[in-house]
Amino acid sequence: MKKKLWTACLAAVLVLTLGGCSAETAGQHPEGVVDTEPDKGLEVMGNHVTYDPNHLVNDGQPVTLEWWLWDAPDLFGQMAEAYMEIHPNVTINIINNPWDGFWTKLPLALQKGEKGPTLFNVHNSYQHLLLPYMAPYDIDLDQMQEDFFTAASHVIDGQIYYTDFGVMTGAIYYNKEMWAAAGLTQEDIPKTWDEFREVAKKLTIVEDGKMVQAGFNYNGDFQNLMLGVPYQYGGTIFKEDMQTVSFTGEGMIKTAKMLKDMYRVDGIGSEDFGTDAAQSFGQGQSAMVYKWGHFYGYMNTNYPDIEYGAFEIPTVTENPFAYDRYNGEATPGINKNASPAQMEAAQDFIRFYLANTRIQKELCMYYSLFPASNALRDDPEMLENPAIAAVSEHIEDYIWPGPMPSTLEDNMKIAAQDIMYNDKEIEKTLKTAEDIVNVDLANIDFTSAENLYYKYGQEG
Amino acid sequence: MKRKIMGAALFLVLLMMGVVTVVPFVWMVLSSFKTNAEISALEQTLLPKAFTLENYATLQSNFNFLRYFGNSVFIALVVTALVIYISCICGFVLSKYQFKGKNLIFGFIMMTMMIPWSVTIISRYTMFVDAGLQDSYLSLILPAMVSGFGIFMMKQDIGALPDELLEAARMDGANEFAIFHKIVLPMSKNSISAIAIFQFLWVWEDYLWPYLMIDSEEKQLLAVGLTTFNGRYSTDYGGLFAATTISIIPVLIIYIIFQKRFVAGVAAGAVKG
Amino acid sequence: MFWKRRPLQSKSEVVLRNIVVAFLVLHMGIFLIVPVIMAFAGSFHLWNPLNGTYKWIGLDNYVRMFQYPTFWTAMINTLVFCVVVVAFRVLLGLSLAYAITSKMTTKKTFFRTVFYMPTVTPLVAVAYVWKIMYNPQFGLIDQILGVDINWLYDSAFALPAVMAMTIWKDFGYAVILFMSGLMSVPSDYYEAAHIDGANAWKTFCYITLPLLKPTMIFVVITSVISYLQAYVPVMVMTDGGPGTATFLSSYLVYDQAFVKYNFGYASAIAFFILVLTAILTVISFTVTGEKPEKRRKRA
Repeated sequence: MKKKLWTACLAAVLVLTLGGCSAETAGQHPEGVVDTEPDKGLEVMGNHVTYDPNHLVNDGQPVTLEWWLWDAPDLFGQMAEAYMEIHPNVTINIINNPWDGFWTKLPLALQKGEKGPTLFNVHNSYQHLLLPYMAPYDIDLDQMQEDFFTAASHVIDGQIYYTDFGVMTGAIYYNKEMWAAAGLTQEDIPKTWDEFREVAKKLTIVEDGKMVQAGFNYNGDFQNLMLGVPYQYGGTIFKEDMQTVSFTGEGMIKTAKMLKDMYRVDGIGSEDFGTDAAQSFGQGQSAMVYKWGHFYGYMNTNYPDIEYGAFEIPTVTENPFAYDRYNGEATPGINKNASPAQMEAAQDFIRFYLANTRIQKELCMYYSLFPASNALRDDPEMLENPAIAAVSEHIEDYIWPGPMPSTLEDNMKIAAQDIMYNDKEIEKTLKTAEDIVNVDLANIDFTSAENLYYKYGQEG
Repeated sequence: MKRKIMGAALFLVLLMMGVVTVVPFVWMVLSSFKTNAEISALEQTLLPKAFTLENYATLQSNFNFLRYFGNSVFIALVVTALVIYISCICGFVLSKYQFKGKNLIFGFIMMTMMIPWSVTIISRYTMFVDAGLQDSYLSLILPAMVSGFGIFMMKQDIGALPDELLEAARMDGANEFAIFHKIVLPMSKNSISAIAIFQFLWVWEDYLWPYLMIDSEEKQLLAVGLTTFNGRYSTDYGGLFAATTISIIPVLIIYIIFQKRFVAGVAAGAVKG
Repeated sequence: MFWKRRPLQSKSEVVLRNIVVAFLVLHMGIFLIVPVIMAFAGSFHLWNPLNGTYKWIGLDNYVRMFQYPTFWTAMINTLVFCVVVVAFRVLLGLSLAYAITSKMTTKKTFFRTVFYMPTVTPLVAVAYVWKIMYNPQFGLIDQILGVDINWLYDSAFALPAVMAMTIWKDFGYAVILFMSGLMSVPSDYYEAAHIDGANAWKTFCYITLPLLKPTMIFVVITSVISYLQAYVPVMVMTDGGPGTATFLSSYLVYDQAFVKYNFGYASAIAFFILVLTAILTVISFTVTGEKPEKRRKRA
């Protein structure tokens, strides 16, 4: 009996394996063909960083690149297809990997040198893992900075290894139906935190001592507010040495107190009401949340029926030092150990990527990013996206602290939860977090980019 | 009469425990037919309000589901079979033979279970790459075929077999290999079933090691594919539940095949005793 | 007394022994000892194999570990977690296995399968289901119990909530093993007890339980070992929060190794846990009255 079962199992495996085999080969690109025509009859693309398609890559001989991603294979695939159409001798194979474990697998794969991927998407928080394997872009620095407003912050020893194609930051999202029900209009969009708290009170509904609608829900976002709002006070996260953090500045402590007061004094929300702000907003239980741009995509997939708008983060004063922190989505890195043929093709492809605003626009729209390319800045179609529109007015006044090691956000999160849920004293908790982060940072070679911000040193 | 009431009461208690046990499980399966909005909606219902097969339909388009599934079944069966055989033979030698260094070896086997994988996985990775075994199934099978759990279990179980039985066979002139295959192996059915059930599940669920070792799409395993539903900013729970529901089926089949062995084991046990 | 040293009798015994020993030594040498030695050496270094950092820092990692307050929180949490979850696993596993194998129970196969269901379901999926069940606004648990508790965000309830989920997920494992053990108890033992006039409880205490000892040892030891390495439930459900209320030692190792890429520091913590596990294992063997190296003989 047992034998029969095993035989049946094995037969099933064989069938599946063979079936899989025949289905598989279809997905792979065939090797490229020899290209003999340098003149493609195409126009030169781009403003300062330009791409002239009318040349041969690798003398027209076939070359294959692997490009590793963790998301959106269709979108990046389109870009690869467009490039392969111009240069039929170049084959770009897209390998989409799960996000979990990607940052372990990628550096290990790059250790294999030429056998590793030639191109790979980068996230700046993993810069410290990837930089030893990356080749600098073969593109003029000044031209890059003319075209991309964040490029300057990615200069490392006079070279650029990757830059942003778009940036993301926080904004306040509000439920339009609740807004109207509370008798609020467009005029009531708050500019300052004081105004914001008043609006939030109007949006809060408590029945029989039980909250049924929160005016503002920051559950899960406390730490993000803590790493953004203090800039409004003129403080920075990093001390002057740009290597150690200060969590105990005036801005941090005031921000923490304000957030805590919102729940405890104003009663516009509760740490026990809607434990996940995004979900609670989607379920129509919270009127306002503070979220980063990816929230637009989240709402589209999960709660397409909620009508909402977004406005810029309120500030402490008019003209703050900075409104909030931003973070970039990066262009691909190039494997420095790639073969000369691959290197030539990869560098050529990067130039194509950077000069191609159409594809950058699609990427920014997909992720709800404010475009890093100056050419796309006033694109009306992009401004229809509330997440992009809300941050567009003062985008120059957002600051990037650099490729922050994860210990910062992790320990701020622990501190935030200790303050929110465990009722620990604000100053002491933040001091503890600061100490732990500084011990961790002492072991990491990291320098903040805060001092590259144009207002750095002018105020605060 | 009293017996009947007792029996009914016992049945009721078991039933209640059973309900508690399956509710989250059933919830998950039914949720795989819901849209994402409904899964995290404010009003939770067990049955989907708007029945959708969307989550299942997108499985194959997300990654080559059938292919990954087949690969996983293959690897899980091979590793489970190897682990069973190796555990039995090691358990036999370690429990029935006396020799120097036996305890040391057993101590190290226990240690294999105590070392967190997170600290050894990178060194192991480097070793496999240096040996040129990357992207081959050998890299998945080799390290998994010795299971501390399995050897420990078989050592306990085979150790409990009466020595007289083995001695009698030896008297009859059987060599050790024959004794192992003809007497020890058939008498360890219960433990073998348990190992099969657990080991299959562990191989089936293992994620990081296959992800690191296997590069080509056509060799990748299902557990790796499943994590594609866990994105950077959000998780596609509908997709995750649908994929999970299907991925449980082989594990359940293995379970159902081997749980019958328990029953057979009772009969054998009665004769044995 | 069969466990007295018996001289090797046949050539085939020597051959078989040599094959097995050679295989085990080779396999463990390559896949266990070498990586462990590498990790042990790494624990004295600032070590990130992903970008090639490897710098000698002596005992710094260990010093840092003992000074880190979260480390001690995690150790205490781990201990509580282990003791409670293992206790429930054994109690639930044993009583349910006993109930199912009882002659009075019908539909044995059905129950067996039902109780095993959670064990085969991948953790990530069920953890999310439980997360929804724990929600204070619309979760099933608060509704059924008629309370208003924010389970996963209240430091008094977060760890118990994670433990409850783990118990639910894992007790089926113990049911299976105990059933396997119970079924090996020869039925004439029970008949003999019955004839002697022993009641059910006495039969259980004096016959079943002693015969289940190997199974019990097995369940306890494998559970302790696996729970000392558990981090997934915490990662999925609470991320160690609120604050550090649900940090477990292995979550710390995982976090340092695969989130912060501090492999040296992670190794230092792992070796501390290893020593602790070894001690706990020896204690488990001692408490259950059996030395691992001693041969058991059949009653």
